[in-house]
Amino acid sequence: MKALILVGGFGTRLRPLTLSVPKPLVDFANKPMILHQIEALRAIGVTEVVLAINYQPEVMLNFLQEFEKKLGIKITCSQETEPLGTAGPIALARDKLIDGSGEPFFVLNSDVISEYPLKEMVNFHKCHGGEASIMVTKVDEPSKYGVVVMEETTGKVEKFVEKPQIFVGNKINAGIYLLNPSVLNRIELRPTSIEKEVFPKIAAENKLYAMVLPGFWMDIGQPKDYITGLRMYLESLRKKSSAKLSTGSHFVGNVLVDETAVIGDGCLIGPDVAIGPGCIIESGVRLSRCTIMRGVRIKKHTCVSNSIIGWHSTVGKWARLENMTILGEDVHLGDEVYSNGGVVLPHKEIKSSILKPEIVM
Amino acid sequence: MEKVVAVIMVGGPTKGTRFRPLSFNTPKPLFPLAGQPMVHHPISACKRIPNLAQIFLIGFYEEREFTLYVSSISNELKIPVRYLKEDKPHGSAGGLYYFRNIIMEDNPSHIFLLNCDVCCSFPLTDMLEAHKRYSGMGTVLVSAESANQFGELVADPITKELLHYTEKPETFVSDLINCGVYVFTPDIFTAIQEVSTHREDQANLRHLSSFETLQSPTSRALPQDFVRLDQDILSPFAGKKQLYTMSLKCSGLYLAQFRYTSPDLLAGGDGTKSASFVGDVYVHPSAKVHPTAKIGPNVSISANVRIGAGVRLIGCIILDDVEVQENAVVINSIVGWKSSIGKWSRVQASSDADGDYNAKLGITILGEAVIVEDEVVVINSIVLPNKTLNVSVQDEIIL
Repeated sequence: MKALILVGGFGTRLRPLTLSVPKPLVDFANKPMILHQIEALRAIGVTEVVLAINYQPEVMLNFLQEFEKKLGIKITCSQETEPLGTAGPIALARDKLIDGSGEPFFVLNSDVISEYPLKEMVNFHKCHGGEASIMVTKVDEPSKYGVVVMEETTGKVEKFVEKPQIFVGNKINAGIYLLNPSVLNRIELRPTSIEKEVFPKIAAENKLYAMVLPGFWMDIGQPKDYITGLRMYLESLRKKSSAKLSTGSHFVGNVLVDETAVIGDGCLIGPDVAIGPGCIIESGVRLSRCTIMRGVRIKKHTCVSNSIIGWHSTVGKWARLENMTILGEDVHLGDEVYSNGGVVLPHKEIKSSILKPEIVM
Repeated sequence: MEKVVAVIMVGGPTKGTRFRPLSFNTPKPLFPLAGQPMVHHPISACKRIPNLAQIFLIGFYEEREFTLYVSSISNELKIPVRYLKEDKPHGSAGGLYYFRNIIMEDNPSHIFLLNCDVCCSFPLTDMLEAHKRYSGMGTVLVSAESANQFGELVADPITKELLHYTEKPETFVSDLINCGVYVFTPDIFTAIQEVSTHREDQANLRHLSSFETLQSPTSRALPQDFVRLDQDILSPFAGKKQLYTMSLKCSGLYLAQFRYTSPDLLAGGDGTKSASFVGDVYVHPSAKVHPTAKIGPNVSISANVRIGAGVRLIGCIILDDVEVQENAVVINSIVGWKSSIGKWSRVQASSDADGDYNAKLGITILGEAVIVEDEVVVINSIVLPNKTLNVSVQDEIIL
């Protein structure tokens, strides 16, 4: 089986992190974002993954070579020369997705994290015998998104309504699709929207079915959702294989620590924290609801909450970071600095406090 | 025959973060200024020095960023220009010292040191003559400006000796500022080494008392081989008859990296052509400007730019491949490569920041490939590359 992951654009909402690496390679729970999806695909027998990209192909290709070997799955790129929207890239990758076997292929949106119940989706698809299946997820505020109106029992999709003014349903497109090769005949090689142009046509022919996604779902394309997403991911990890999470008197709630990270005495870590490879957390540090990327050093007595600390940065002693502080790569905060929502671009040194949310170029 | 060499400090990617978002794709020294990379201007000035043997660019950018430029400019000017990469930042004087053997290869009698982001008329020949007259260790180019963003110097009005130097003072010290252009005799290397050794001795002394190490902020801050020209050399050597000054005569010349509108510099390009140009304007030969557009004063238009009908441009730099659509207005801004300015949109910054260097956003900068949609207004904002603005913004940084 094959799969296409829509990687697309510049990841501007995840800046400053995406100023250093392309978005799919930004780490989430100590793994490049896209690796979560590639691993889920491989687990159900997908043999080839195509990445639809339009930005920094060289960086992506280097990454791929490394992981192709490790994972034993073929990874290729399909590069857009102009933005093709949400459906166009599928047409562009046509030759890579069809192998004559008639098997359906997956299409995933790269910003999404979830439990990826792909095996259940394959069964669902076979059962209804339609042309396309999509995962939908229940949300509290459906009018922020595109709502999928469907028949509850069969899952047959009636229509899509973009940002509805009145309540039409509370299920939205989760960005995970399983499509028969015939869908490719419906997509022209031009900027096309899958929700506005392709799916409505398939729905009108009663061939589009939706499955409600069990478990969590999050679009982690922006920092606030990234942090919420980590909480959901770690919660799900606890239910499945809690051995990966850290235990001990220094830990509260769900905490993921890479085995090469070092944590000092007297720290209190958690809940909802991920600490990456090679990190050094000195003694007396408090971390909660944050992500600490590879190679970061957090010095003594510091308190970090609701923040993301980028690769190879250092945070001085007695510092306090909170309220969506995001440090890009190689940022160095001096001792005793307070940051309230500071967003700091890579390669900066910060010696004075940031009292209110501010971007530091 | 006495030989002279010139050294231009170009910095590195972790320096010059103030030049973001334009420096994301291009190292600041190669950023175009009036049709040429920024570093081209000091290099051309150096070419005018008699008996110039070599020009060195010292920085910590990757070598490959400069390979093409350096080889093409060496060919063009028929003088060896070399880029020397520091393994780590050594400071403005430390870098000079680190490469002293290469710099002294031809046994030059004098060494010019220039800061790459200085925009100036570079009276280097006059400086060399003045320096020979004073016969000190070094001569610093100074200018009368009243900004406290720079180092301020006090010079003896008659002997021109440098009496006092202070970096970015909070109170008024002098109206003479350091232009970042110097000429030295090879004694400068000894002076730099003295500073390094002195610092090492201080550090060794401090090891005896660990309490002191905790107290003193300066001792732990700088590695021994990081030597800054201004604070570590000019300041201590001031008043010892070693350093002299020469005044820059022309007024109206700017030193800040965003004061791109130096009339001298821009007049070097093509000047007025027709009724649609006002004041000093530079237009690259491949650019297309609609006859009904009004351009200037102080505008630089780079290669392959298309300026549509009825456009008004004042005090701006338009980089390569930009499209400015009909009736748009751009004032006091820099528009990055490949960007697009929509019809009737307005991109501007507050009127000429009069010494208001502290105003973070007295200029509007659009990074590479930014799209400003029709009728959108962008004021005093910085927009990072690849963004599309479909709503108006003011006083913001758009990530």
